[in-house]
Amino acid sequence: MTMIRAEGLRKTYGDFPAVVGSDFAVEGGEIFGIVGPNGAGKTTTLKMLSGLVEPTDGVAEVAGYDAGDPEMRRNLGFLPEESPLYEDMTPRSYLRFFADLYDVPRAEATERTERTLDRLELAHRERRLGDMSKGMKRKVAIARSLVNDPDLLIYDEPASGLDPLTTNYVLEFTRELADRGKTVVFSAHNLYHVESVCDRIVIMNRGEIIARGTVPEIREEYGETTYHVFTTVPVEGSEPDTSAGSATVEAGRHRSVVSDMAAVDRVRERAAADGGEVVDIRTREQSLEDIFLDLASGTTPEAGSERGRQQTEPSADGVRAPSGGERPETETVQATPEGSRTERDGGSER
Amino acid sequence: MSRSAGIVDRRTAVLGVLALLLAGTILGAGLLGGGVALDRDVYRVGVAADSPYRAPVERSVALDARSPDADALRDGDVEVLIRDGEFRAVDTPKGRAALSELRSAVRSHNFEQMRGEENGSAAFPVVTVLQYVSRDDTLPDEAFADDGGDGEVVVGSGGDGSGGDGSGGDADGSGDGDDAAATGGGGGPLGVPALSGINPLGGGGSGSPAEIQPPFPFGSLVLAFVFLVPMNFVVQAYGSTMLNERINRRGELLLVAPVSPGDIVAGKTLPYLVAMIALTALIALGVGGSLVSVAAVLPIALLFLAATFAGAMFARSFKELTFVTVTVSVFLTAYTFVPAIFANVTPIALISPLTVVVRDLQPLESVSSGAFAFATAPFVLCAGVLFLLGIGIYREEDLFTQRAVPLKLLDALDARVSRPRDVAVLSGLSIPFVFVAELLAVAVLFALPVSLTVPLLLFVVALVEEVAKSLHIYAAFESGTFPRVRRVALVLGALSGLGFFVGEKFTAVSQVVGLPELALGQAAFAPSGIGVFSAAGLLFAPLVLHVVTAGLTSLGAMRDLRWYGVAFVGSVAVHTAYNLTVVSYFG
Repeated sequence: MTMIRAEGLRKTYGDFPAVVGSDFAVEGGEIFGIVGPNGAGKTTTLKMLSGLVEPTDGVAEVAGYDAGDPEMRRNLGFLPEESPLYEDMTPRSYLRFFADLYDVPRAEATERTERTLDRLELAHRERRLGDMSKGMKRKVAIARSLVNDPDLLIYDEPASGLDPLTTNYVLEFTRELADRGKTVVFSAHNLYHVESVCDRIVIMNRGEIIARGTVPEIREEYGETTYHVFTTVPVEGSEPDTSAGSATVEAGRHRSVVSDMAAVDRVRERAAADGGEVVDIRTREQSLEDIFLDLASGTTPEAGSERGRQQTEPSADGVRAPSGGERPETETVQATPEGSRTERDGGSER
Repeated sequence: MSRSAGIVDRRTAVLGVLALLLAGTILGAGLLGGGVALDRDVYRVGVAADSPYRAPVERSVALDARSPDADALRDGDVEVLIRDGEFRAVDTPKGRAALSELRSAVRSHNFEQMRGEENGSAAFPVVTVLQYVSRDDTLPDEAFADDGGDGEVVVGSGGDGSGGDGSGGDADGSGDGDDAAATGGGGGPLGVPALSGINPLGGGGSGSPAEIQPPFPFGSLVLAFVFLVPMNFVVQAYGSTMLNERINRRGELLLVAPVSPGDIVAGKTLPYLVAMIALTALIALGVGGSLVSVAAVLPIALLFLAATFAGAMFARSFKELTFVTVTVSVFLTAYTFVPAIFANVTPIALISPLTVVVRDLQPLESVSSGAFAFATAPFVLCAGVLFLLGIGIYREEDLFTQRAVPLKLLDALDARVSRPRDVAVLSGLSIPFVFVAELLAVAVLFALPVSLTVPLLLFVVALVEEVAKSLHIYAAFESGTFPRVRRVALVLGALSGLGFFVGEKFTAVSQVVGLPELALGQAAFAPSGIGVFSAAGLLFAPLVLHVVTAGLTSLGAMRDLRWYGVAFVGSVAVHTAYNLTVVSYFG
């Protein structure tokens, strides 16, 4: 079941285009991430979906309702980036107040909020909200988004500003909500959050969607695979291998970075011709953050009609000079002259 | 107390309860003590316990009955001494004031006794209509007759309560109380002590023009002002709450709840309105006002809240909010209080609901339902429109933006305009403000010579009406609601003129209180077709005027601010010329 349908969604503030024609759909029960740098249009998109902001153009349909329909909001839990609470209230009274707004029967509301607060491990339920830590407030805000037991949750930067422990807790809880059948749409600019919980994502920049799909799909479509070929003799385009740090540099190793296996074979042939050999081959894939940064700065050929590759282009034979400051790798394939073996680094370094 | 919507935080609630308790305690104590009075027991009167004057002295709040010792007057223990059928007062301003108060007390006593009579026509055989006219000659200023020669003033003696004619004294200060005592049966009115030399006609039932109370209901006015005082405090708290929602972005969470902005605003406003009603009712109870007073104050409270709400929606910071609330408080307090001073003089006073309160607090005064509607309806309508404008921008896009107050006003106007017909509706809804502004102009210019103020008033009227007809059109063009096309501008102008014309007809309510009968009233309302002009059969001439001038300003607004300004000046000039023509030929 399609929970959200956005077609040609556009929002302009005066002459400033905040969101430029977004199209996407979110299926029920999935966690859908919206990623992008500050000012990309993530929050505006979420606000249009939650009915807070009226689109300038396009369709935003949520659970079969127009996003501006107040009835839609009965089935929506919204968590803004900040957690503005009524600081003189206690968690219990605060949640009870919002339950009243959603016409949740008192007994049901009490049972539900107590259960949620138990799950969120919020102990001080009669303490004044103003006296609580940011993490505790965030938990109360999350509990508030659940008082009406909504099918759709729209979370704007749910883990923003929280310590790693609480962040992890919030992300786990988000995953748990999806496991319970809730649809969760959330924005983030911390890509680790997105990678760790999202089923599908869209990457936005300057108000438009520049990439979409699952994280592996995006990595496959927009990420680059490079082969780092280590030889015992220098070949054309190679450099002395210093990338692993002085402590592990093997004397006499030279590294060539190429973009396909044919180029690897050519390096192998040249090394052999010079009396050397290939001692190691590593395959390196870009992390989501690399892809995101490339897309956001318009460096991938797929990112927008005008955007093209602006960085290291391979030479005619597929060999390129290795870059000095490499970004984190997500996967390494190590190869020996006798054959290749694959090792996983364990994904992102973050 | 339920803390719904976080409207009232704990501290505010506690302060509110304490304020209510304090007000209740003071008023309760006042009521237990026989009413609230600033002049309680100010004057001491020596009067015997068996004297017929004892009762009026004891009933008067300002008089304190003391033992009638012969030396009391000399020793300064009393200001007035009633002894042996004579009234003696110390020859000081306080002594004279005490005597005057005693005189009033005796009159009131007599009046009450007469009212208790079953035969009304016997009790009040003569009805006197008192008219205030300008005085050509100044009456001679006569002095007190210092018969006592020892610092005392001997004034006419009164009857003993058993007399029927109650003559109080004559010009030379000799009493005729004995005569009074000789006539009439027991239980009749007391002879009123007259001030010697000031009462050329003698007797207790009349006096010189100088003695006649001026038509200035000072006491009632002060009490009516008490109604306004708490409002100035309540709106501060209310405005802060509303702005807090914006600054802390807490309003966002309410906006994603399945409630409308109107519901949210109503939920936030009601506690303050209820608090104001409670305070008003308490004050009314304390000062002796009836339900009429409470009903008349309610529209003032509503307008205080509405103006503060709109201000809180427009303000970007607490600093700006302070400016707005102070402006609102000062303007509304002045607007309501100043006209009420003339509650007994002119119908213009009825532009303020407080006038209704003043009249309600005065005995024998009443307010017709038409006059009540005239005084209160503009306030209620203005409050409604202000809430409407504020609610229009109670949405995420406007609530948390930092735009200047004038731009926010334009946003609020534009929020209510999505179709061309909305322009007509908004022009019609501006009528209460136009009405209030024009009434204010009438009231402000009232004291000046008519020949000078009428042209000025006609200009002000034109100015106000052209603003009301065009500002929302400019706002709509600026926000891009309508395309900047000449045909569209003309259509919007025509619709605005039409809407204004229809709304303007509601100002016919001014006829209820006879405002067009005043020269300035005619000047203000005749050009709109109210009163004389409608009789001339030219009812639709104002429609033509409004359509033409609104069309002109709309064409200017279509382009930019500068052209809007130029077109506006032109429209005001045309409108003023029209007004002058109408008033000259038909007014």
